[in-house]
Amino acid sequence: MSHGAADPTMHPEVQLSTSKGYFLGFAISAFLMLVATFLVTSHSVPPFGLLMVISVCAGIAVIAQIYFLLHIDISEHNIWNTVALVLFIPLFLITIGLTWWMFSQLYLRTMDMSVMSSAMQPAVHASATPGMAAMPGMNAHSDSGN
Amino acid sequence: MSSHASTVDPKKAELWDTHHHSHDVISTRTLGYFLYLLSDGMLFATLFAAYGVLSYQHSYFGGPTPAEFVKPWYTFAQTIALFLSVLAYGFGMNALKHKNKSGLINGMLAAFVLGVVFLVLDIHDMSHLYSMGITLASSGGMSAFMVLTQVHATHIFFGLIWILVMIAQVMTKGFTEETVGRLLTLRMFWHLQAVIWVFVYIFVYLWGYIS
Repeated sequence: MSHGAADPTMHPEVQLSTSKGYFLGFAISAFLMLVATFLVTSHSVPPFGLLMVISVCAGIAVIAQIYFLLHIDISEHNIWNTVALVLFIPLFLITIGLTWWMFSQLYLRTMDMSVMSSAMQPAVHASATPGMAAMPGMNAHSDSGN
Repeated sequence: MSSHASTVDPKKAELWDTHHHSHDVISTRTLGYFLYLLSDGMLFATLFAAYGVLSYQHSYFGGPTPAEFVKPWYTFAQTIALFLSVLAYGFGMNALKHKNKSGLINGMLAAFVLGVVFLVLDIHDMSHLYSMGITLASSGGMSAFMVLTQVHATHIFFGLIWILVMIAQVMTKGFTEETVGRLLTLRMFWHLQAVIWVFVYIFVYLWGYIS
């Protein structure tokens, strides 16, 4: 594994570049972003279906970019990059997924969404800051204590 | 080292192998940098999680939501500028493969200009929001939206500086083990920004627009 000592441009990570690969990575991801943008702006698909479709677009675009641009594959030279990425993906998904799940459960059990959204509309510009808005509530609490 | 462990003289034992081994310095550095970039990905995971929990109706405190100000085709133009910048850098790295210095520098210059286009479009977008009275302090939802998108823009800003530094280093030092290794790590950094942008564009801009 002593390659590259004499001529670093002969290093395998330099030599694995191909214009065709970079162009494919660009073309596939740009096309999928175009499709997603067109579907979103045309309002032709119901929201939940639209979310599914653009999520699939994002997934395929990311896989194409990771394969063609970051050269993540099972070749001998890149296998450790691939292992690190495969071990990273669960951490990434768990961090986002569990946080989102915890807070959605919290909101579900502690807030009445319909009351929140309707009561909030006129109150926004009237109250000065969130800190100030909290003061009367604290006073009321201490009053009820007395 | 050759004799049995119990007969080793502690005063003369050689604990470390001090002989020089030529190992693959470039690959060692690129793997280390890739691990760093994955931890950078965890930074984005926390920001995506924060946006996820702060993009409910009540998160915007009755104020503006992304559905009211996101312009999908404007942000699509940003997307294409960034993807073309990544493509130009890729073509530059292909020129490096053929020891073509002017091809590499042209590719990096094109990547720089397109990256600047992306950043100018982003700054224009943010100043437009500011002129409408939408700031970081408008609501928790807007804080999460702006921090996530502007942390990505900050990555682009530092990547642009790095591209200029590498153009200067290639022109003065040529293709040494150090400069080629840095060009490879910059390629990883720059290409990963496009991967993260896909998530930002789809799940923050477009999803924010339809919800």
